[in-house]
Amino acid sequence: MNRVLIVEDDAWLAEHYQRVCKRAGFETRHAPNAVDAMMMIDDDAPEVIILDMLLAATTGLTLLHELQSYGDLAHIPVIVCTNSAKDIDSALLQPYGVRRVLDKTIMHPDDLVAAIRSVIA
Amino acid sequence: MTSGDRQRVGAENELFLGDSFSLIAAAHELKAPLALIRQLALMIEMGESDAEDVLRMAEQIGLTSERALRLTADLTRSARLEDALFELEPINPVALCEDITHELAPLFAAHGKSITMQPRQRSLLMVANRDLLRRVIMNFSDNALHYTNASGKVELSARKLDADQIRISVRDYGPALTASTWKTLQERLYLPQPVHARPQSSGLGLYLASIFAQTMNGHIGAVRHRDGASFYVDMHASTQLRLL
Repeated sequence: MNRVLIVEDDAWLAEHYQRVCKRAGFETRHAPNAVDAMMMIDDDAPEVIILDMLLAATTGLTLLHELQSYGDLAHIPVIVCTNSAKDIDSALLQPYGVRRVLDKTIMHPDDLVAAIRSVIA
Repeated sequence: MTSGDRQRVGAENELFLGDSFSLIAAAHELKAPLALIRQLALMIEMGESDAEDVLRMAEQIGLTSERALRLTADLTRSARLEDALFELEPINPVALCEDITHELAPLFAAHGKSITMQPRQRSLLMVANRDLLRRVIMNFSDNALHYTNASGKVELSARKLDADQIRISVRDYGPALTASTWKTLQERLYLPQPVHARPQSSGLGLYLASIFAQTMNGHIGAVRHRDGASFYVDMHASTQLRLL
């Protein structure tokens, strides 16, 4: 079963992502902030990370930097889910392991599943 | 163009820029609840969830809509502050806070969190407008709901600072804020910032709270703790109790 880490500070949106992922057969964990996410990754590296960029306290960019500083974690594909997708140049995030950028305001629940499948294929 | 004209145009531009920032901040702030409502509605529409899940999503849609509506009501009220006369009256802050904790309890419970009011033995009276003060505390509570730890608690309290000032605080228990986040937060408390300059939130709620407090001759602020933060509003104490 593919392990997905959801880094999202909106608890109900995270619950929704978990519901969607579970229905598609993925195993999920949830971290509400970048610090908790790093601890969970340290404990058991996921196969995919779903990341909100504008988190409470530290931003998603801090987590991306941290991941890239470890050789064994830099390869984990990251799917960014954000309300500010239009302000993000996805090409600039590719060197940070970001493989997809989803716009929360227009995405369908199935888009999340499709994105996960595409990056672990 | 005369210097008077230039001054007027300058003032209009300033007003326009201020309005633009407010509009952008409002749009940004409303995106998150609307996106969540849409996601949950789509999930229900797919028809693959069990009855218990559908009920939970319906509850989340309702409570998220209420939060978004509170923000739109605050925006409307802030735009009309100059047109309206707000009556200032002696208000018991403890009773008001207890009302608010009662109203917000279902929202907090749905998040697995709690909101309580610290009990007080001695009465307090402050001079404020009930509606605006309520909006300030609701904004702080909403902010605390987001930042407090999972399964955490939020505490409201009221105390006398000195003979003339009373403080209502909303305390959350979350991860310690970094120095840079704290600096940004301090700026947000007093000035509307461009959305792109802000992490996580536009800070619009806190900005509106600041405007509402100023309208009542009060002010808001924040205190950083090792395990969270307190947001407060300071208002003038009523002298009525001294007459008893």
